[in-house]
Amino acid sequence: MNDVALVSAVMLGGMVVLMLIGAPISISIGLPSAISMILVLGLENGATTSAQRMFTGVNSFALLAIPFFVLAGGIMNNGGIATRLINLAKVLVGRTPAPLAQTNVLANMLFGSVSGSAIAAAAAVGTTMAPMQAREGYDKGFTAATNVASAPSGMVIPPSNLLIVYALASGGTSVGALFMAGYIPGILWGVACMAVVWFYARKHPELKAPVRSSLGELGRTFVQALPSLTLVVVVIGGIIGGFFTATEASAIAVVYALLLGFLYRAIKIKDLPHILYNAARTSSVVIFLIGVSSIMSFVMSFTKIPQLIAETLLGFTDSKFVVLLIMMVVLLIIGIPLDATPAILIFTPIFLPIAMQYGIDPVHFGIMMTFNLCIAVISPPSAPVLFVGAQVAGVKVESVIGRLMPFFLALVAVLLLVTFVPALSLWLPGLFGLL
Amino acid sequence: MSEHPLSSESAPRPSVLARFKSLLDMVLRTICVSLFALLVVLVTWQVFTRLVLSNPSIWSEELARYVFIWLSLIGISIATGEKADVAIDYFVQKAPLAAQRVLEIVAYLATLTFALVVMVWGGYLNAAQTMHQLNPVLPISAGVLYLAVPISGVLLTFYLIYHLIRTLSPGYTGLEHIAAEDGVEL
Amino acid sequence: SSGTDAGASETDGSSEEAVSTTTFKVAFNQQPNHPQYIALDAMGDRIKERTNGAYDLEVFPNETLGAQKETIELVQSGTIEFAMVAAPLLENYNPDFVVFNLPFTFDSQDHQRETTNDPEIVSELYASLDDQNLRVLGSFHGGIRSMYNSIKPIVTPADMEGMKIRVIESETNIEMMELMGATGTPMGMGDVYTAIQSGVIDGAENNELTYANVKHTEVAPYYSYTKHLMLPDYLISNPSVMDGLPEDVQEIFAEEIAAAVEEEGALWKTEIEVSKEKAIADGAKFNEVDEEAFAEAIAPLTQSKLTNDFIKDIHAKVRAAAK
Ligand code: NA
Ligand code: NA
Repeated sequence: MNDVALVSAVMLGGMVVLMLIGAPISISIGLPSAISMILVLGLENGATTSAQRMFTGVNSFALLAIPFFVLAGGIMNNGGIATRLINLAKVLVGRTPAPLAQTNVLANMLFGSVSGSAIAAAAAVGTTMAPMQAREGYDKGFTAATNVASAPSGMVIPPSNLLIVYALASGGTSVGALFMAGYIPGILWGVACMAVVWFYARKHPELKAPVRSSLGELGRTFVQALPSLTLVVVVIGGIIGGFFTATEASAIAVVYALLLGFLYRAIKIKDLPHILYNAARTSSVVIFLIGVSSIMSFVMSFTKIPQLIAETLLGFTDSKFVVLLIMMVVLLIIGIPLDATPAILIFTPIFLPIAMQYGIDPVHFGIMMTFNLCIAVISPPSAPVLFVGAQVAGVKVESVIGRLMPFFLALVAVLLLVTFVPALSLWLPGLFGLL
Repeated sequence: MSEHPLSSESAPRPSVLARFKSLLDMVLRTICVSLFALLVVLVTWQVFTRLVLSNPSIWSEELARYVFIWLSLIGISIATGEKADVAIDYFVQKAPLAAQRVLEIVAYLATLTFALVVMVWGGYLNAAQTMHQLNPVLPISAGVLYLAVPISGVLLTFYLIYHLIRTLSPGYTGLEHIAAEDGVEL
Repeated sequence: SSGTDAGASETDGSSEEAVSTTTFKVAFNQQPNHPQYIALDAMGDRIKERTNGAYDLEVFPNETLGAQKETIELVQSGTIEFAMVAAPLLENYNPDFVVFNLPFTFDSQDHQRETTNDPEIVSELYASLDDQNLRVLGSFHGGIRSMYNSIKPIVTPADMEGMKIRVIESETNIEMMELMGATGTPMGMGDVYTAIQSGVIDGAENNELTYANVKHTEVAPYYSYTKHLMLPDYLISNPSVMDGLPEDVQEIFAEEIAAAVEEEGALWKTEIEVSKEKAIADGAKFNEVDEEAFAEAIAPLTQSKLTNDFIKDIHAKVRAAAK
């Protein structure tokens, strides 16, 4: 029992202090974990086992999907795919109030359904949409807020790197099941944003500049967007149909996006090293974080801290509802200073065993956790999507935060639904026999 | 794109250390790009052999995993070199310059401790222990594959010392951070 | 914390009353309802009782301490004391271990248990890893693998012509599948269900327990008793763990491991019946095959893998003990 107290103190204290002084998140997790390992196993064994966990923690074919989806996102970002999806979104929601804002939301959802990166969506879609909205008299803060709030929908709508990280952290939940489970909550994310835009538009009738488009135009933009949308069929259909694994699908996505980029003449061979290099650097940071987190999850299994928390909690309440609520609030708060990936890596090994004791399905839990933590990527101070969104719209972060508040409220309302209505997550994968 | 994070204050003649760093940067970037391209080819090949040739490759998945790990572990050292690793710098930036310098040094020392004790030393012990363990499909021992950890640790150590020296130099202007569009989504 | 039930047991007077309990960690990759887990857990209880609370085992199920390959390394470094691992993994440490992983080596579960735990046959092989800080303490039954598919019952190798069958990633397994008439496709276990469902592969091979548990019954209802592989699972340890124990405690461990091997074998037999009933209820159809035809087809593989006199000798002894 001494070990448990010591390890808990080192982990908690070490992580908080290191994060506050600005050490890399990976080191803030890795160093206290390695110290705990050394306290339990001795210096030599602790160091060796930590190094072994770092390596074996990322020695998983499933994880290769992360660099591939990042790369595919990078290629799409440069490859003319965003433009065609924006055009399609524009003719689809062009007749609604505040049409350009609705277009932005829908374009982010469409982009998200072919890529798994909220930053790529916020950058690619925002860069095109922000100047158009500025010309039509949209408030710049509102424009940026709409883009920022809707961009993370693509991390819940598959493909999604966060869901792959969760699949690994949870000890092998099916990626196919998680992907199918993400569709409805991800679409609800977009719908929540559209609802906020709709209310905003009612107060701003001057934005009612419907973009009328003919049936022919609709057909033409759809045909132009079709090759990009086919990617969804290839990637998700390929996984669900069992033709290839999620990792293989992500490699196919890279090849496909590349072919489209060449076809659209948006990418040249000489651009490739730079795109590859940026994707490698980005994914390395994520993979390193996953590696060091597996030192932490080993310490957790070794000392049985999660079981201890679960037992304490079980003595306190036997209500699934209360436990879910506690976890939801903790994750929402933790998401303010932290990004989604580290939060998933830290809290899955602690929360999932508890959730399972209460009979919560790991797929449902993963979607609830991912949805919850996607709110984290737009909540400052650690909010990369917010920063990118503000930058491409040419406004200060401070003027976006206020405009984001209604979106936050709407998203938390949907989060409650996703948390307490498991069917929203489990119905679709059940339909495809993936549970 | 912040290709040259140091260009703003670079002196007329870069130091030996800085010249070595740019050489190392170039070598590591080339390795990263090549490994990543290889990775795409390997996994595409795997799909092709199974679905089209009906003669599935047995080594491609195993090899792809190790290429991926080496790519990631080399990648993290350059990311650290370019200060592209992710940290919560919100509080540090609010601190006065002198305090920023102290906090940055402590953060570097923490990272250095991890790199030296876990990655270089622990990684070396782990590789040594598994040097005779064969791989079922590749003609390489597990220990050689495990060397990625200590090698990455050595590279990280170099970049950390480089940054430490710059933080200690009289020209210190406070915490640097890279542009938002180069930011890493976690 | 509960070492106070000592004194009552008068089995061995050796360790008197234990001041504190030394708990050994055992890594295990499957669920707590698996026969091996149940046997190991019971073994821990008996050891604790017989040593008056001085020694105990704690079994970590579901890969909580890592995948099998990694837990071998943890045993080597001394991070954990025991691990239960699939036999083919030890081939990476000494290729001679291939001898028990060849098709049609054992005729029955009992034949396997008796020969792979017979010191006369195995002691030299099992101690061959001592210099790599590994030692096999006992060989447990890991099921009998047969073929199952989505198309039709298999009776002869000719029935497998053109089928794509998922195998464990290894050259030997792919070669074996080829000799049996099919194409071996290496694939992670988690992908097999949907791959069979969509027709990317036609089937896989495993024991009845796994077959029923992972619900492959739903997509591949034809289970044909080819019984081509019977791979043992080894309880391994670091030699320093056993050598560091007092001699009487070493004796207790050896006796209780032997008892656990017996118990696991018995549990397995009842468990297989339960799984088979469950599979049949789910729509699976079991059939016998022309075993001799398969044995003949695979024979060249076995011969080609017995590359030195040491393992030829072991193999001959095992075969001599058959029937
Ligand atoms: Na997505
Ligand atoms: Na945040």
